Amino acid sequence: MFTLAEKTTARSSFLHSWEARHKLAGITALIFSFSFVRDLRLLPLILAASALVYYLTALPPAYLFARLRLPSVFLLVPAMVLPFGSGQTVLARVGPLALKLEGSLALLLIAAKFISILTLAVSLFATTPLAGLAGAMRSLGVPSLLVEMVLFTYRYIFQLAGDLKRTGTAATLRGFKGRSLLSLKTLAYMVGTLLVRSYDQSERVFQAMTLRGYGRAAVAVSATAPCRRDRLALAGALALAAFVILVQVLVL
Amino acid sequence: MHIPDGIIPVQAALGGYVAAGGAAWLTLVKIRRKYKNPREAIPRASLLTAVFFAASLVHIPLPPTSVHLVLSGLVGVILGWFAFPAILVGLFFQAVMFQHGGLTTLGVNACLIGLPALLSGALFQLRRYFGRNRAVPNALLAFGGGFLAVAVGAFSAALLLTYTIPAHLDAAAERAAIIALSLAHLPVALLEGVFTALVVLFLLRVKPELLELEA
Amino acid sequence: MSSIFSARGLTFAYPGRGHVLDKVNFDLAAGERVGLIGPNGAGKTTFFLLACGIIKPLAGELQIAGQPVVPGQFYPEVGMVFQHTADQLICPSVREDIAFGPQNMGLPQEEVARRVEEAARITGIEGLLERPPHRLSGGEQRLVALAGVLAMEPRLLILDEPTSDLDLRYRRRLINLLAAMPEKAMLIASHDLEFILEVCTRVVLLEGGRFQADGSPDAVMSDGSLMEKHGLEVPHSLTGTWHRHRGPAPGRRDLPG
Repeated sequence: MFTLAEKTTARSSFLHSWEARHKLAGITALIFSFSFVRDLRLLPLILAASALVYYLTALPPAYLFARLRLPSVFLLVPAMVLPFGSGQTVLARVGPLALKLEGSLALLLIAAKFISILTLAVSLFATTPLAGLAGAMRSLGVPSLLVEMVLFTYRYIFQLAGDLKRTGTAATLRGFKGRSLLSLKTLAYMVGTLLVRSYDQSERVFQAMTLRGYGRAAVAVSATAPCRRDRLALAGALALAAFVILVQVLVL
Repeated sequence: MHIPDGIIPVQAALGGYVAAGGAAWLTLVKIRRKYKNPREAIPRASLLTAVFFAASLVHIPLPPTSVHLVLSGLVGVILGWFAFPAILVGLFFQAVMFQHGGLTTLGVNACLIGLPALLSGALFQLRRYFGRNRAVPNALLAFGGGFLAVAVGAFSAALLLTYTIPAHLDAAAERAAIIALSLAHLPVALLEGVFTALVVLFLLRVKPELLELEA
Repeated sequence: MSSIFSARGLTFAYPGRGHVLDKVNFDLAAGERVGLIGPNGAGKTTFFLLACGIIKPLAGELQIAGQPVVPGQFYPEVGMVFQHTADQLICPSVREDIAFGPQNMGLPQEEVARRVEEAARITGIEGLLERPPHRLSGGEQRLVALAGVLAMEPRLLILDEPTSDLDLRYRRRLINLLAAMPEKAMLIASHDLEFILEVCTRVVLLEGGRFQADGSPDAVMSDGSLMEKHGLEVPHSLTGTWHRHRGPAPGRRDLPG
């Protein structure tokens, strides 16, 4: 069973047992509705909802923080630009720069949305094995060619990353340092080598699969029968998503 | 160039999905028309997608620091029409596994990165007018493809970000932002161009069939 | 006998797993050829990577030719040939691949060229110099990888499963090659116990984080209970009997015509 998270989460929790199609539909609806948020007053709601969903995965908070750490680096750019560059009301002066209210609030909006959406995404992917995810995507209308590409690519990502790492180790053992621009040629050779080897390997993979009947029928994807709890959870997620959108459109 | 979740308006994100969906549909039609049995090409396209994913993890030196390459130009050169679904799949995994690039912005990123890749592929095919196996035309067209894929993508991303981020910037500041964001990507675009040319030259010597997949 | 490589109190564990090496002590003298045997996962490759300075030990000291091993530093005195040679060959031609190491050593062009020719001559692959490595057979690739390492003129050669994808002809060629280099110290990990018997002067058995045995090849590998305890077998040439896995062998059937 492959989950997309590297550390396989072997526990069971509500989110682990939520049927894949319902889970994908529900969380996707939440993600999109949260990205629709423009009003700061909704921020506590979306952050709380995301936290609740993550809580339902029974995963440790440290795991989430580890996943959020690197991508949050991108927030540095708006953090430097928006509070000082955008808006009129001045809150404080930091040397020659003026800290502005509107810009700071815009930053807050972006950061909160970013965190809540990523939390939802991590909750989804850490609790769903790829096979289930592929089946859910297929039944939600993604073309089968793409779904098969996802499954195949996943199969080889780890192997190829390992091959590339070993190739790098072998090169390092022969004195390669990879720090100057001149190492570009060697790095290009390594990528080229990997392409050639993978191309050859893919021929063998295809032959082996054809010998076992691949290509004659659409890839069958198993689906588990949903129960009432799955449907209720989906209804809840859709209701919250609808609320977030409608309350902004109609009321705020 | 990967736009994360939460910073562009949902209309732009949805628009991106619509555009990406359309582009995916079009390229899939082309693929089905070209291959009698398109599923034959899936193992190969998927393995090469995995290579690009792995390669995008490599630290490429750009003194004083290092960067990760996007390699969209190279994907376009080698995979042709398959470049768009490949990049879509690659972006999906980058978003899911490293939270690099967003899920709501998957469509937008696929367009920003995948469409220029198709352009690079088309550009590279011009080599048939200059001698298919001659090193110089291959290298120059590959450089052009690698450079343009990133330059066009970065410029489009800059435009998108500047016009959609909910902020109140005046026109001069907007222009400055677009120029600054685009110029920041210039060294990377040059690097990608050179890298793409080097890989293509390698393949030309070792396995030229890999450059003929989409001829 | 000067020590070309030594380890004192070497300890290493992968995060979340038990100790792969636990306070290991080891000495390798110049010209000694040590066979490293043990079941899969015992830590042979890890030991090699520590010896080359690729990974950092949790504790302990390593020395190559008298200097301490600093992880991350380049030691051309040590040359390692990996189990999967395809990971090692990156250049578009065999000649360029062999030249890779000497070039990184900063040697002048003429010296690099001389070393390439010499390494190709020793391994007998002069005819392959202009070919792309990817198109060569498994045996040829292994010789190219070996040549690439020999071109650095190392004093210690580390070979990880060197016969794993060789046909008998290339295997014999490799054995003869190694026998013709008495001045080089060697560390060879292999499941091919007959190969170890022919090539090595000393055998060390690694399992459970420690060296469980260390002695002459005959002494270590003919100890049946020791070998079986660690998931190995006594090589046939040391058993003196012919070990049959199936029923009585049928007489030879001469084919018609």
